[in-house]
Amino acid sequence: MRSRINALALALSIAASMLLVACGGAAAPAAEPTTAPEAAAATEAPAATADPAADAVTIRYGLWDGNQQPAYEACAAAFTKDNPGITVKVEQAGWGDYWNGVQTGMVSDTAPDVFTNHLAKYPEFASKEQLVDLKPFIDRDGVDTKQYLAGLADLWGRDGKTYGLPKDWDTIAVVYNQDMLDKAGVTVDELNNADWNAKDGGSFGQIIKKLTLDANGKNALDADFDKTTVVQYGFIPGGSGGAYGQTQWSHWAVSNGFKFNDGLYATKYYYDDPKLAETIQWYANLNLVDGVAPTLADVKSLGANALFTGGKGALTTDGSWMIGAYTKDTKFKVGFARLPKGPEGRKSMFNGLADSIWVGSKHQEESWQWLKFASSPACENIVGSYGVVFPAVQSGVDAALAAYKAKGLDVSAFTAQATEANGTFLFPVTDHASEIGPIMDALMDSIMLGEKTAVDGLKEGNDQVNALFQ
Amino acid sequence: MTTHRQPRLAARREALYAWAFVAPSLIGFLVFFAVPSVRGLLMSFTNWDLLRPAKFVGVANYVRLLGDADFRHALKVTAYYVLMNIPIQTTLALGIAVMMDKFSKSTIIRGILVLPWLLPNIVVALIWLWLLDPTMGFLNQIIMGLGFQRQPFLGSTDQAMPTIAAINIWRHAGYTAILLYAGLQTIPKEIYEAAAIDGANERQMFFGITIPLLRPVLVFVLVTTIIGSFQIFDTIAITTKGGPVDATRVVYWYIYEYAFVRFKMGYATTISVALFVILITITFIQMRYFNANSSDLD
Amino acid sequence: MSRAHTRTAPTIPLATILAWIAFALVMLVTLFPVYWVLRTALSDHKEIYVQTAVLWPVGFTLDNFKRVLGMFTAEQSVAMGGTATGINFWLYLRNSIIVSTFLVAGQTFFSAMSAYAFARLRFPGRDQLFFLYLTAMMIPGVVTLIPNFILIRDLKWLDTFQGIMAPGFLMTPFTVFFLRQFFLGINHELEEAATLDGASIPMIFWRVALPLSIPALSTLAILQFIATWNDYLWPFLVGKNEAVRVLTVALAIFQSQTPQGAPDWGGLMAGTALSLVPTLVIFLVFGRRAVNAIQFTGFR
Repeated sequence: MRSRINALALALSIAASMLLVACGGAAAPAAEPTTAPEAAAATEAPAATADPAADAVTIRYGLWDGNQQPAYEACAAAFTKDNPGITVKVEQAGWGDYWNGVQTGMVSDTAPDVFTNHLAKYPEFASKEQLVDLKPFIDRDGVDTKQYLAGLADLWGRDGKTYGLPKDWDTIAVVYNQDMLDKAGVTVDELNNADWNAKDGGSFGQIIKKLTLDANGKNALDADFDKTTVVQYGFIPGGSGGAYGQTQWSHWAVSNGFKFNDGLYATKYYYDDPKLAETIQWYANLNLVDGVAPTLADVKSLGANALFTGGKGALTTDGSWMIGAYTKDTKFKVGFARLPKGPEGRKSMFNGLADSIWVGSKHQEESWQWLKFASSPACENIVGSYGVVFPAVQSGVDAALAAYKAKGLDVSAFTAQATEANGTFLFPVTDHASEIGPIMDALMDSIMLGEKTAVDGLKEGNDQVNALFQ
Repeated sequence: MTTHRQPRLAARREALYAWAFVAPSLIGFLVFFAVPSVRGLLMSFTNWDLLRPAKFVGVANYVRLLGDADFRHALKVTAYYVLMNIPIQTTLALGIAVMMDKFSKSTIIRGILVLPWLLPNIVVALIWLWLLDPTMGFLNQIIMGLGFQRQPFLGSTDQAMPTIAAINIWRHAGYTAILLYAGLQTIPKEIYEAAAIDGANERQMFFGITIPLLRPVLVFVLVTTIIGSFQIFDTIAITTKGGPVDATRVVYWYIYEYAFVRFKMGYATTISVALFVILITITFIQMRYFNANSSDLD
Repeated sequence: MSRAHTRTAPTIPLATILAWIAFALVMLVTLFPVYWVLRTALSDHKEIYVQTAVLWPVGFTLDNFKRVLGMFTAEQSVAMGGTATGINFWLYLRNSIIVSTFLVAGQTFFSAMSAYAFARLRFPGRDQLFFLYLTAMMIPGVVTLIPNFILIRDLKWLDTFQGIMAPGFLMTPFTVFFLRQFFLGINHELEEAATLDGASIPMIFWRVALPLSIPALSTLAILQFIATWNDYLWPFLVGKNEAVRVLTVALAIFQSQTPQGAPDWGGLMAGTALSLVPTLVIFLVFGRRAVNAIQFTGFR
């Protein structure tokens, strides 16, 4: 026992002395944001264009969409041809790993020089001084930010600074299985002109029911419909949608009169809006009550896209970047229809991606050269020609439309939505997104699983989210 | 004089050598165990986010921890997991060990039994994620083949945690059985013979001899598996990521989420300190209660 | 070690049969998932999702393996429903081998040195220091995880092999403890004889103690090798870069690549099957010793 006490005393004294040592050491992480000098340098007016041929420089460029990798590799090749001194290495990782990599990369000084940024992510990077302000570069080189589709460039500014130049945009549309429509006697016209409300789903709700079949071949409008033996779902939800419901419920909610917040950098969310609650409840009830949609577990395991292309359901909603995933190698004909008209009209989230430069980049001038090229018509036309995404400049959109047309695809449901007056609303850009995400993910899941009502769950989520801004 | 002096000199030389021998491990210990532990403790008094300078916030994190319903939930979920995992796994392992002892001492069988333990957690999680898939998993095909409704397993809040417990039991039961089997080998067979002569049946011998004499090994197994299962992480990271909702958000995942998703290092370290306190308390109680080092044989 | 009483005691045949069935069932449950990995890996990618209940590989093919081993171009992989960025298997295998081998070599050697000192040599503070080591055994990994991550970052060792190996290279409390127990148990006589012959302490350690403890050292090394090989969170945090990425991390990253909205199960299972090979080889070669190693830890 005695030796144990002695040992404990020694342990404590060692611990105490280490505490002193560590106190000195603990200041280290605080005092050395290794990137601060560069950050300061970046805000000053950049020097004149570096001699491109001086030294071979490799820029690392990060993106998460594997489908776009070939397009940007083509861009990179074109860029190097014009700028022989600069090569661009395109690095791709799946969504989760991509952001984990960018974030830990910033901490560890290994983040890519230029990376594809997202509206839900950039405000935090900006507030942590991780992004280069592009304004001085834009002014110096006279880049015309009006060349981008309306509103896109504005999303990337704050307090007079610019953190990204737009590269592409996306909207949402209804995806349908033509064979299933035909069998049920639903026309594409009917679908395109459907209306929707949160009470009973409107005529779109009727179409969903008509397209849902049980093992006896009865559809969900039939009194004898057995929802425990469904073999074909009328609608496949894209999951619970978390904080933004971009492809899942945002279009329903906003067309029902909901708004997320009061605009760019708002400090208050309105998740407790009854209009959102009734929308979400309708959305969750598709599975919980009506049995016309698969369970959240099914959707999570495979993804709505795989369920749809596997022929498990007739309709879903998804973003324009997924066009290729729905149409490639699918055994039946797939089409894209307009979102139904809600009480407030047709509304789609309008989301834009942009490229940003990390402050830790050792080659900021070269990074800027690449970024400027990547967001110029020259590159965006190349990207458009691959027909995987809608670029941010009109000529790129045209190239994309031509590419889709060459593949025999009609994607006007997406573009019509983008050009319609008041047809879109912007992705909610605020601080604290990395904390809002986990909070709303869990609550939306619990509503979709029927463990909480939408009213209760959203109230709870709203309180937690708004507490972050206190 | 010399006779007195030489041993002292030798002793000093021995101590010198000893410190030289201990030095590398001491460096490793100080740099990667001791100092980080203290540094972690200090970090828990700040609001550090990895990128911006840390600010000292006093005990704010601890105050917040006390009122954090999500933390309490994480503790509850973890305890639920441990209480499901440990009894089933230990009982199963004991059963397998006894069967091995009676039927087969083949190395091949022992090899097969530890096979799951040889696989990385990541791989185990991937295998089961695939087997248990709600729509395409093989297990659900069997369940449907038998005429039942298919089950969501990892996709439902009720089934997710038991499923994860089952996966980990699969990985560890064989390994634990090998440990217990080794323990069984140390029990002198004369004791059984004597008991058999006295007319004891198998059951009486099991509870009267096997269990008491196996106690040191059982305690070791329990202590390590309980500590281990409090730190469940890999399986959850691959399969459910704390979900659905928060059904599998165990303490370890909660810490990870704060540290590397939300980048709130200060609060994350606060939770780890709390976990440490809990673990050391449990270990201490276990050691006391089971009186680990003595078996009834002594 | 046969036990006479089990034979002489009256056994009910039915119970024995039931026990055998139970035992067989345990074996089946243990082995089946591993078989299922192979079955999926050998199946045609498209058939995996259709014929889910067939016990043998459907549309038998080696394409999944070839894809994972990078024997197809990115375009071909994507056409087969995989990702353009496959598993760079040979690189990750090499990385896993480098990390596990060097880490275990360093860890075992340095732990043996200090364990020898703790077991055999007298020096002031010995018992207290050893008690501290024991305490460290109780500290959950996550407490030191974050500070160690920061430390590795400050050393600029992120995405390097030394960064992945550093925390365990010089010791773990467990290895020191394990070997100290071992040294306490072996016979003094040889060492004493060597001392009388005038051998110095390092010479005794090197010439006498180490050779005597080869069984214990290799036992420990196997255990630690497997543990290091299987480790995920630490190498995931500090070694995500391709150049140093180990197999476990690669598999997890591969899983999160969801080319068609869901993981590429065929490729994933092929990668999983391949990643099992090294462990299985070790196990086949050192089988008995590995099992004994596990048993040995039961008495630490």
